[in-house]
Amino acid sequence: MNHGQQSGEAKHDDDAALTEFLASLMDYTPTIPDDLVEHYLAKSGFQCPDVRLIRLVAVATQKFVADVASDALQHCKARPAPVVKDKKQQKDKRLILTMEDLSKALREYGVNVKHPEYFADSPSTGMDPAARDE
Amino acid sequence: MSNGAGESASQRIELHGKRKLFRGNDFAYAVARMAVAQICESVEVNAYQESQSRDGVRFTSFQESALETFTDVAVQYIQSIGKNAHLYANIAGRVDGNSLDIVQALEDLGYGVGFAGVSDTDRCLADSGVVKDIARYTLEAEEMPFVYPLPRFPLNKDRRFAPSFSEAGAEPPDEHIPVWLPAFPVIKLCDRSEEINVGTIEGEIPSKENWSCLPSMQHSFDGGRLEVLKSLKDARESTEVVVEGNPFLTAPLRFAEKDVSPVFLPLEISNEVISINHVLDTHMSNNHHITVLEASAPSDKLNNKNRLAESEDGEKLNGTQQSLVRFKIGTMKRPTCLAINRFQEQVLFQGGVDMSETNSEMEEIDLQNVDSDVK
Repeated sequence: MNHGQQSGEAKHDDDAALTEFLASLMDYTPTIPDDLVEHYLAKSGFQCPDVRLIRLVAVATQKFVADVASDALQHCKARPAPVVKDKKQQKDKRLILTMEDLSKALREYGVNVKHPEYFADSPSTGMDPAARDE
Repeated sequence: MSNGAGESASQRIELHGKRKLFRGNDFAYAVARMAVAQICESVEVNAYQESQSRDGVRFTSFQESALETFTDVAVQYIQSIGKNAHLYANIAGRVDGNSLDIVQALEDLGYGVGFAGVSDTDRCLADSGVVKDIARYTLEAEEMPFVYPLPRFPLNKDRRFAPSFSEAGAEPPDEHIPVWLPAFPVIKLCDRSEEINVGTIEGEIPSKENWSCLPSMQHSFDGGRLEVLKSLKDARESTEVVVEGNPFLTAPLRFAEKDVSPVFLPLEISNEVISINHVLDTHMSNNHHITVLEASAPSDKLNNKNRLAESEDGEKLNGTQQSLVRFKIGTMKRPTCLAINRFQEQVLFQGGVDMSETNSEMEEIDLQNVDSDVK
């Protein structure tokens, strides 16, 4: 009896925590716009007029993207730096999100993205215009 | 790099245009791409390994293919959350989803990576580890709104469902149908209206078949809109004649028994209309006009030639065969045909030239033309 009451109270607390978190989302503006998330949710068939739930999905997606991006960043950093001729280029070490790092990071999240073997992305991508001219 | 900067720039523009084509001017996708790029730029990893630089390291730019793939994945993530939440709402017997559906969907997607309390069998959804992770993320990560103000998406926010039996005030036809289900659409049973429909459809078909509407409408693009209205009115009036009985068994209409709007010549032939109305278009249409006339010209001339060939004894068969062949080539390629015609005319006007010679020469010309065609 007592145990049941306790568990009921715990559930009540959980509910309160969830409600509180959802309420706090009203003040938090995710990077992904609400309308965008609502658009894609509506496309997938889900419909909800509650803005808090849209925000919840937006924040969850933002967290997912940020996690993958940070993993990819780690991969990018862990890679041995390529041999650079110019010292000027060595100074400003620019990190570019490449397909290899992204596919490695996404693999941990269950998304298998294979980098196309013969697809040559423009080699000058991500360089500043001055470096591109050289 | 052999290709210059300008060439590569043009290639890039071309690629960009192609991508735009494939994406189908997807505004939502473009916004998602920017949002993903913004999130990626905000991600920062502290470089603790290198002792000298403790500054945060960020992505400064992206390979376009990587960014697009990432955007695709993010969009798929949102959509799979929506799909799963919708599924769980439907399993619970609801149409609209609630927060617990979304939490369940997030848990489903989080099984691959794992979260706190995933092994508990009797855990509460409200106490999910996924939600806690997200809450922690909202506290840790800096709040960063989308860079640009967005126009409102054309979303239909208050979508109305079909009224249920109870809302419509109708009773379900059978006992096994609950009242909360959407009401059946009203069934209209009327035989007379069907007959009338059939009649009007039958009346419409001949007015379309006699091709009077199309040229008249074409003509009215130049002439004015009144004629379109007129022709449409005529068509409507003609449709009002309701055929009684089986319309397929009625006797066919005689000529001039039914009023039919007059047939106008197509624009290409009636050159005057074009020259009056479109001064700019006259150049092009004149060219076309000439070619149309000349396309019909060679057959006449060749017929004359055939008659000439028949009047002579030896070359009769040969001449007709060649003219037939020439006729085919000439219709397929006009300039060569013109050249041959001119040549023939010269020969005819000069006179006294042996026809066998001319024929052999023409054969050569034809062969050359055929060769050029093949090439």
